[in-house]
Amino acid sequence: MQGKIAELRLAALQSVQEAASVQELRDARIRFLGKKGELTQLLRSMGSLSAEERPVFGKMVNEVRDELEAIWDKREAELFRQEEEQRLKAEAIDWTLPGRRPNIGTLHPITLVINEAKRIFTSMGYEVVEGPEVEWDYYNFEALNIPPDHPARDMQDTFFFSEELLLRSQTSSVQIHVMENRQPPIRIIAPGKVYRADADMTHSPMFHQIEGLVIDEGITFADLKGTLQLFIERMFGPDAKARFRPSYFPFTEPSAEVDISCIMCGGSGCRVCKSTGWLEILGCGMVDPRVLRGVGYDPNKVSGFAFGMGVERIAMLRYGINDIRLLFDNDVRFLKQFGR
Amino acid sequence: MLVSYNWLKEYVDIPWSPEELADRLTMAGLEVEGVTSLNPGLDNVVVGRVLEVVPHPNADKLNVCQVDVGEGQPRQIVCGAPNVSQGQTVAVALPGAVLPGGFEIGSREVRGVSSAGMICSEAELGIGTDHDGIMVLPDTLQVGEALADALYLNDTVLDISIYANRPDCMSVIGIAREVAALAGGQIRYPALEYEAIEESLTDHTDVEVLKPELCPRYTALMIKDIRLGESPLWMQARLRAAGMRPINNVVDITNYVMLEMGQPLHAFDYTRLAGGRIVVRTAQAGEILVTLDGEERVLSEDMLMICDAEKPVCVAGVMGGENSEVTDSTNTIVLESANFNAVSVRRTSKALGISSESAARFEKGIDPSGTLMAAKRAAYLLAEYASGKVLSGIIDRDTVDHAPRTVAYHPVKACELLGTDIPEEDMERTLVSLEFAIEKQDAVWQVTIPPHRRDIELEADLVEEVARIWGYDRIPTTTPYGTTMVGGQSRMMQLEDDLRAQLVGFGLQEALTYSFIPGDSNERLLAEENVEMLRIANPISEDLAYMRTSLLPGLLMAVSTNAARQQSRAALFEVGAVYLAGQVDPPTQPKEARHLGIVLYGDRSERNWAVPHAEFDFFDIKGILEAVLPTSGLEWTKGANPTFHPFRQGRITLGGKPLAVFGEIHPTVARNFRIGGSRVYAAEVDLEVLLAHQKQQIRYKEISRFPRVDRDLAVLIGREQPVAQLVELITKAGGDLLQDVRVFDVYQGKPVPEDKKSVAFSLQFQGQRTLQEKEINDIMEQIITCLKEAVGAEIR
Repeated sequence: MQGKIAELRLAALQSVQEAASVQELRDARIRFLGKKGELTQLLRSMGSLSAEERPVFGKMVNEVRDELEAIWDKREAELFRQEEEQRLKAEAIDWTLPGRRPNIGTLHPITLVINEAKRIFTSMGYEVVEGPEVEWDYYNFEALNIPPDHPARDMQDTFFFSEELLLRSQTSSVQIHVMENRQPPIRIIAPGKVYRADADMTHSPMFHQIEGLVIDEGITFADLKGTLQLFIERMFGPDAKARFRPSYFPFTEPSAEVDISCIMCGGSGCRVCKSTGWLEILGCGMVDPRVLRGVGYDPNKVSGFAFGMGVERIAMLRYGINDIRLLFDNDVRFLKQFGR
Repeated sequence: MLVSYNWLKEYVDIPWSPEELADRLTMAGLEVEGVTSLNPGLDNVVVGRVLEVVPHPNADKLNVCQVDVGEGQPRQIVCGAPNVSQGQTVAVALPGAVLPGGFEIGSREVRGVSSAGMICSEAELGIGTDHDGIMVLPDTLQVGEALADALYLNDTVLDISIYANRPDCMSVIGIAREVAALAGGQIRYPALEYEAIEESLTDHTDVEVLKPELCPRYTALMIKDIRLGESPLWMQARLRAAGMRPINNVVDITNYVMLEMGQPLHAFDYTRLAGGRIVVRTAQAGEILVTLDGEERVLSEDMLMICDAEKPVCVAGVMGGENSEVTDSTNTIVLESANFNAVSVRRTSKALGISSESAARFEKGIDPSGTLMAAKRAAYLLAEYASGKVLSGIIDRDTVDHAPRTVAYHPVKACELLGTDIPEEDMERTLVSLEFAIEKQDAVWQVTIPPHRRDIELEADLVEEVARIWGYDRIPTTTPYGTTMVGGQSRMMQLEDDLRAQLVGFGLQEALTYSFIPGDSNERLLAEENVEMLRIANPISEDLAYMRTSLLPGLLMAVSTNAARQQSRAALFEVGAVYLAGQVDPPTQPKEARHLGIVLYGDRSERNWAVPHAEFDFFDIKGILEAVLPTSGLEWTKGANPTFHPFRQGRITLGGKPLAVFGEIHPTVARNFRIGGSRVYAAEVDLEVLLAHQKQQIRYKEISRFPRVDRDLAVLIGREQPVAQLVELITKAGGDLLQDVRVFDVYQGKPVPEDKKSVAFSLQFQGQRTLQEKEINDIMEQIITCLKEAVGAEIR
């Protein structure tokens, strides 16, 4: 009997060695260790043995079974790993092929700049408002201290529909609407389209401005400087310096033009800044008392500042766009560049 | 305005170099846009006199000249210019000179004759454009003197941009006043006092102002025995530096004084004035005047004219007439120094299309108190440089109120507005240096405004004067304090931003098109009812003349641009206003309705090996709308918009209001916009309707934890049968347990009969309990019965 066990063990080990696949291995396992397998049958033949021999024999068979089970498990795991390796190898792909990428949408660069300005100013407590583009002469000019025949009207070649109705030439018109409808304190910005009869590399008949207005008790020129300095640092980077130059706008007094240190050359002088090291970026000033009185505010009680900037100018500087017409051409090769 | 640095120095001490001065002026509100040296580099170029000219022995076109250059011995110079002749005073470049073009002069032999220098043309020296011959200089020049000195070229010109409120700075003295304030210096006014002859001008001439409201002041002088000729070189140099062309001493002097003082002057030839007198009146309609530029001007009734007893002789403040022009034979002149109404000059110069130095000054409004000083200054110069005799007496028709204006100034309030502390004595010094007079009354200063500062009206104007001279850069930076305010934007702006973000996520590019479009745009869209478009009265071109009433024309033009540029895919959207004409009488503003427009053209996605190539179709545009519009409340109906394909379009209403149109663009419309290649799909959404029905709040619906039962259902229905109706029927018949119905297949063609299509639905059932096979079967049975009865569906 013992000889038979040893023989069976050897035969089983042999078949483990010979099995070339997980499947063959499993078949062999059933042949030897299955319910009707050879080892099981050997155990059944135990009935012919004596009562003393039986436990000894049983123990021997079980030992062999345990040993074989372990060998089988080990081998099966081994073979499975090999087979899976083969399978994966067969699934090799050219990972360098381009991916199935979703179409990339983009916002217009003008929207990007306006969004940036909106983020900066709303974080400072400003409300974003809008006003009409087709505007009364009163809001675009008269209420801003620009009476008819004022030379300042020449600076802005205005499109008009009739004597009184025109396309606003500046977002400053929104200032008046806001002040007519609210009482101070006021902190608003008003982005939007404006129109002037002018068309070349740097002028478009339609363009965008962002107007800002702050009215409260005790607002100072120093506040105007500080606010715009903050804006410029966040819009153009912490190294951007601002320079305030006296200027003239009929609806602010004192007025200033703000230059930033050239973002191309850092101020050392280049073609973009015409070797001056500075780029003109916005106009601003303290709201003229006549404008305040015009909307029923008392200039002895409240003061305020206003500013206005050209969005196209900022976009062109930020993105290095040399011709303003590209912004309204809508060539997808241009638009797609503003995604990432 | 172009200002010579040397000229400026005549009136004020300048402690700065031209570049420093430019910087100071810029930071004080007189923006200097350029600083240019007048000397093009003329070292070793001197004044010479040609003593002898003999033909070159070996060359036909050359001459051998002996030229005195102040060295004792004349130099021999070979010259090829046709106009060289003995006795001329010329510009000589000596060996060692490097001419502006980079040409270095040396001593050399020219065809066997030695030549020690070069006689130069204007062009060769870089001081003019004439290169036909050598430059012939006035004989008064000192031989041997450096040419740059002799011609006053050692000077720098500042190009200063003057704001509309500072006409007083359109003069050298005006700039000098600013420099004096900045440098803490004093102005030196030029010489004015001339000696008049006994003869009185009132015996010869008279001035009658019929329109004092358009001509508040008219000052006139008369000068006789004038010897017309060239003006002195220094004066010519200054005029050139200011961008003006020297003409003769009389004209040059009037221009010189205008540049110097900002007061335009005009000289009339007395003998050519009918009646020898001046009448200031408006033109009669249709009167004609030939102006100095040779143009015949037809005048209208609102134009102010300077006339003689019979006819106009000058467009007041704008340009003189040929009929009274100073000519070579002029002997006696009437000199005009007048003040004209700014608006009148502005309108007249605009109407006639004339821009002149004179009009540029008058139309900004100049100081009427300056006429007398300017007239006297010109008379002084005419006596000095045109040997004129000034008749005694001055005609001065003056209706101007010269009472000085005062403005109250509160030093404390000024500092409060600026947000800084400027010492009172600094404020005082600044204002006084700008010629303001101060009378202190405790905390208030009564500030008297000098007559040339017509821009100063309010205290704020004085605050600006103080601040700009003090220096904006010395004012600190602070941020406003006070009430904390909540930032944010309107619901509409938020909706627009959200839509933009979604559409970008779907792979679309945001476009930006002009608000104005061509007048035939709606016709090109085949729009049925002619929607009224607002027309701009003064468009820059007919293509940009009408305010859009739809975003589609602009977007279709954008597609057209891209198609023409070989772009195979254009998926664009735009958010913006359309302008719906308001009432005409009385006029009202148009309604500016916010719209969203979308166009899809060409490839659905960029070419990719892993994605089957396909072009956009109807269901792309519809799908985008389904994705961005609300999930409930929409009513989708068949569209009948002529812009779109008659059988491939839809219309959506929300709350009974038209919300959107969408579909395939009609091929005729595509052709009208010159779009070829692929079809175009488009949509336009009215955002106000959308905003009005925007879902206010999102409510969570509980997710079932019980198993889901999926059933598929395939039916054959009539080919024309809208599938949406079946979805509706299924949803209704399916009851509460039917959670979702999806159309997952639509098939036409064999083996489906020709008049039929096969549609497959996927149905999902789920409830708050485990569903029984039997009850699902019952529901399916109900659905099938319903489909059979309602639309004659056959179950496959």
